[in-house]
Amino acid sequence: MIEARERIRTYIVENFLFGDDRGLEDSTSFLDSGIIDSTGILELIGFLEESFALKVADDELVPENLDSIDCLVRFMALKKGAMTAGETGC
Amino acid sequence: MLIHQFLENSASRTPDKGALIHGGKRATYSRLDRSANFLANWLLQCGMQPGGRVLMLLENGEEYVISYYATLKAGMVAVPLSPETRSEALQQIMMSTTPQVVIASTKGEKALREISPPPASLIAAVLTDPTSSWQERPFPALAFGTLVAEEERAPALAIDPSSLASIIFTSGSTGTPKGVMLSHANIVANSESIIRSLELTEADRQMVVLPFFYVMGSSLLNTHIAVGGSLVINNTFAYPASVLKQMAEEEVTGFSGVPSTYAHLLHRSPLKAYRDKLPALRYCSQAGGHMARQIKEELLTVLPRHTRLYVMYGATEASARLSLVPPERLADKIDSIGVPIPGVTMKIVDASGRELPDGETGELVAAGANIMSGYWNDTQSTAAVLSPAGYHTGDLGYRDSEGYFYLLGRRDHQLKVGGHRINPQEIEDALIASGLLIEVAVLGLEDSLSGHRLVAVGVPVNGSVTEIQIKERCLKHLPRFKVPSEVLLVAALPKNSNGKIALSEIREKIELFRAR
Repeated sequence: MIEARERIRTYIVENFLFGDDRGLEDSTSFLDSGIIDSTGILELIGFLEESFALKVADDELVPENLDSIDCLVRFMALKKGAMTAGETGC
Repeated sequence: MLIHQFLENSASRTPDKGALIHGGKRATYSRLDRSANFLANWLLQCGMQPGGRVLMLLENGEEYVISYYATLKAGMVAVPLSPETRSEALQQIMMSTTPQVVIASTKGEKALREISPPPASLIAAVLTDPTSSWQERPFPALAFGTLVAEEERAPALAIDPSSLASIIFTSGSTGTPKGVMLSHANIVANSESIIRSLELTEADRQMVVLPFFYVMGSSLLNTHIAVGGSLVINNTFAYPASVLKQMAEEEVTGFSGVPSTYAHLLHRSPLKAYRDKLPALRYCSQAGGHMARQIKEELLTVLPRHTRLYVMYGATEASARLSLVPPERLADKIDSIGVPIPGVTMKIVDASGRELPDGETGELVAAGANIMSGYWNDTQSTAAVLSPAGYHTGDLGYRDSEGYFYLLGRRDHQLKVGGHRINPQEIEDALIASGLLIEVAVLGLEDSLSGHRLVAVGVPVNGSVTEIQIKERCLKHLPRFKVPSEVLLVAALPKNSNGKIALSEIREKIELFRAR
């Protein structure tokens, strides 16, 4: 999942922070920090679905799955079946 | 009657009732009222004069509510803005409104730090979570937490109901934002009218996803505080599934949104699966712009059977709302903006101001105690929209024989394509009716041959939708000259902080794309 973490991070830095990654920790909340707004969240989901060949279901659109790099990596690991449900969550 | 008396009356009636629910925090009426008293007294003690402006850069939350009512109790004017206002716009608004105190959250503080020089009027900044050194500034910065205490008495002031209560800057999707001046009397009149129209009572619990700094959010706050209801605040509508879950858990009775809110609920949330999980949801209301018929019809099939859908129409200049469609008439008046709410009159006039008979198209003019006194420091714009007849909305429409009003688009949004005059709203509706798009905006790009060339930018319902499919379906609803020459498909449309589609940003993106 290291590769996934790096790809997500690069996408966010390039598309929402214009190359400046100061202040973006893996645990930073996208919404609270203002890094990504609600429009950006939809763009991010589009990127995940296209890049990692997965489908984000409507009932999975919750901050626990999507609101930080850590959350995204854990959520995707669960989707890929690499982790058990008990190990997920932020 | 004054706006803050809504809070005072409810606090005296039901002091221990929960007024706000936000995450794990709950604030009672008594706590909100007493905290607002303390802050109001502090505002006066720190040297502010009645009529002075308090600029608020806050998200929805307890701090917002306390700051808003404290400002009003102190006889001052609340100027609420998005905490994500860019520093250039913030500088302009600060120079124009010359606030004496700014109250800001972490996000608001970022923009505030870039203001240079700050207006000389500024006495203090109050920060919910001070993150940087403010010592080099000519005004002191205090932590909001140091000003939170409970005090029984509000300042003893005689405030005239006609005095200015709030300046709300319009979203400015086109042109420079204008500061709408609303008095206590304006907001009280509109709040009471909405309470009657929606039959709000102290049993109501509203899920709030719209920002309080936006006039519709402000109206949700005042109406629910007035009836002694509860507001459930959720600032994460970007994740709609979490909002629905909380709506079920908190047993909310009401939900309000703008068109994009409902487009996302329909297409990007498990709303259908919640049909049986929202037994308390009494109504949903929609305002903030035209919503396509397709979305209304789908909502009527997806919302719980007992949930009523109120389609409303309003403007910041009208304190919030002007008309609504009674839910029992929605099916046969689905394209209408309804009839005026109590205390409001509406008519259709021609260019000379003469009232037109039913069925004829002209400009919609509204009058009532809720209409603003004008735009802040802008007599020219004020004179352009206010006349003895009332507020000239800039919306074109007509009235049917039963008194229901219908809108056909903005007067200044009409496009000329070839020899035809085209209303983008009609084309957007046809595109949504294709069933292939979640939301869409239609723009006219300058074209040397035809005047304008129609371009649509839309979000497809899934990845397999193509431009050709959309155009083919459009031809079923539109003549060929109205079908956009180009349909660009994107993952999301840019929105302003109120959730409305930001046309100017879309136009910039298209031009940037073309330049590449």
